[in-house]
Amino acid sequence: MRSREAGALAVEGRVREHSAAAVAGKYWAVFRTQLLNSLAYPIDLLGRSLLIVLFMWIFMNLWRVTYGATGESSIAGLTLADTMWYLMMAEAVMLSKHDLSETFSEQVKDGSVAYLLNKPFNFILYHFAAGLGDSLLAFAGNLLIGSAVVWLMVGPPPGIAGWIFAGAAVVLSWLLDFCFSALIGLSAFVVEETNAFRWIYQKFLLLLGGVLIPLDFFPTWLQTISLNLPFAWIIYGPARLFVEPSLTRLGHVFLQQCIWLAVVGGIVWVIYRRAVARLVINGG
Amino acid sequence: MPAISVRNLRKTFQMKRKAAGLRGSLRALWRPSYQSIEAVRGLSFEMEDGELLGFIGPNGAGKSTTIKILTGILHPSGGEATVLGHVPWQQRQDLAFQIGSVFGQRPQLWYHLPAVDTFYLFGKIYEIDDSSLQRRISFLAEAFEIEELLETPVRKLSLGQRMRCEVAASLLHRPRVLLLDEPSIGLDVVAKQRLRMTIQRMNELEGVGVLLTSHDAGDIETLCRRVIIVNHGEIVYRDKVSSLKRRYLTVKTVDVRYNEQLAPDFSLPGVEMVKVGRYGAKMRFDTRVTPVEPVISGLAAAGSLADVTVSEPSLEDVISAIYARTEA
Repeated sequence: MRSREAGALAVEGRVREHSAAAVAGKYWAVFRTQLLNSLAYPIDLLGRSLLIVLFMWIFMNLWRVTYGATGESSIAGLTLADTMWYLMMAEAVMLSKHDLSETFSEQVKDGSVAYLLNKPFNFILYHFAAGLGDSLLAFAGNLLIGSAVVWLMVGPPPGIAGWIFAGAAVVLSWLLDFCFSALIGLSAFVVEETNAFRWIYQKFLLLLGGVLIPLDFFPTWLQTISLNLPFAWIIYGPARLFVEPSLTRLGHVFLQQCIWLAVVGGIVWVIYRRAVARLVINGG
Repeated sequence: MPAISVRNLRKTFQMKRKAAGLRGSLRALWRPSYQSIEAVRGLSFEMEDGELLGFIGPNGAGKSTTIKILTGILHPSGGEATVLGHVPWQQRQDLAFQIGSVFGQRPQLWYHLPAVDTFYLFGKIYEIDDSSLQRRISFLAEAFEIEELLETPVRKLSLGQRMRCEVAASLLHRPRVLLLDEPSIGLDVVAKQRLRMTIQRMNELEGVGVLLTSHDAGDIETLCRRVIIVNHGEIVYRDKVSSLKRRYLTVKTVDVRYNEQLAPDFSLPGVEMVKVGRYGAKMRFDTRVTPVEPVISGLAAAGSLADVTVSEPSLEDVISAIYARTEA
């Protein structure tokens, strides 16, 4: 609400009305600028993507032996090729997600958060737009290099539907991961050092999210637990959709992602409002 | 109506305390103890529209905390403040369209990108249409003499060049009030001078009010008509800069060296001899009591002069003088 005095002080034409397009334009510009920023160091970008080659090579050796030992061509409905393509997608998502909590933590520690809070945009949405700009390039790089390697190892990837469905689900994955990251990051406003929380979250993703093993291979009880936790819908959801694209599965993944987004996103929102009120900014 | 109005503003931080060593750490875990730090204690002041107001004080005096409250980033523990009719911490986003800020120690330009990329980003953030933004960038580029620098990645700019770009970026949306927190920190003399000139020019051209914090008395002297000095979160002095100079910068320190030996009982009337050596002396006098001319001629008459340095008290000296007076 603007007071009358302020209205009288504001010079006409200086500030435009906030149209939806102008607001969307802000976050688009943030996304674009982050994209440009990531492109400033192409070697670094490529280097980050090369890690996936190592992971795929390790997985290939591990699972070839496992499949060989069981003597089956498929385990829990997944062939060796399915498993490898699943893991490629899981790793691509995992390696390209933007670690926002670290950024938050840094910004609170060095005080640069001051600049982000005194601009006319929403701090949380700003970070999401910037994170997306960063993730998108990394994801493209990981996908390109990861696919090339896995193709050489086990043959062609799943059909076009897999790419489209997984691609759509990955956007929601990033959003959900972003909410967790924001939650950890916001704790920086209070505890300043967030490494411990970050470490725990990473391990949940690795084990219960399906980064190391497709959740289908778990015993039923553990599978049930995992599928009822949000972590599965960040990694397992899109990766599984990639190797078995069906509309039913797509609907199920979207539903789960949306439910968890509402829950975790809601918590982030409440905590954000409180954290800003008790913010302490470091540095003179 | 003043552009900035502050009444009895207070900010208290809770700092965790911990005794030294492992035992202290364990105790702090078990039963944390807190210490209240009063960063700002009941500040009241006003800044007129279009005014250049200096806000100075030593480290930890509460300057930055006050500026952060005025931009709406920090919530005060008590008191009132309005900036352009807005209560900053309640109307942060509305206010953001009308104020600009630069925190000298924290860059806001994207480090790996040319400054112009940040300018375009800010244009979108402040909802400026493309053609106005283009005109605004050309105007500021000329005013700040940064035309040649805009397309160079910020990391390759010198600190002085970067600072000019930083201030230009904060003016893109034509703010009515600019909050500059230590903009000249780390700059060399020439870069400082250039930055001051551009700030002054923008104030004259667009009437933007500037609240400036600095360690450097020179910044305040060249830019501001009025100054507020804070120490320990309280205002210890407020007046015109000219009165500050008249009152406190009247004490001159003179270092003098001669080509020949000096008489051991060398002295001048009305001048306090701090140190007298064989070939030189250090002395102090107050221009309100002792005029400059007889001192200089007295020095010249005492022998063949090799070197003379006249210095004024530093800002820190002035502040301690003022603070000592308020405590007395």
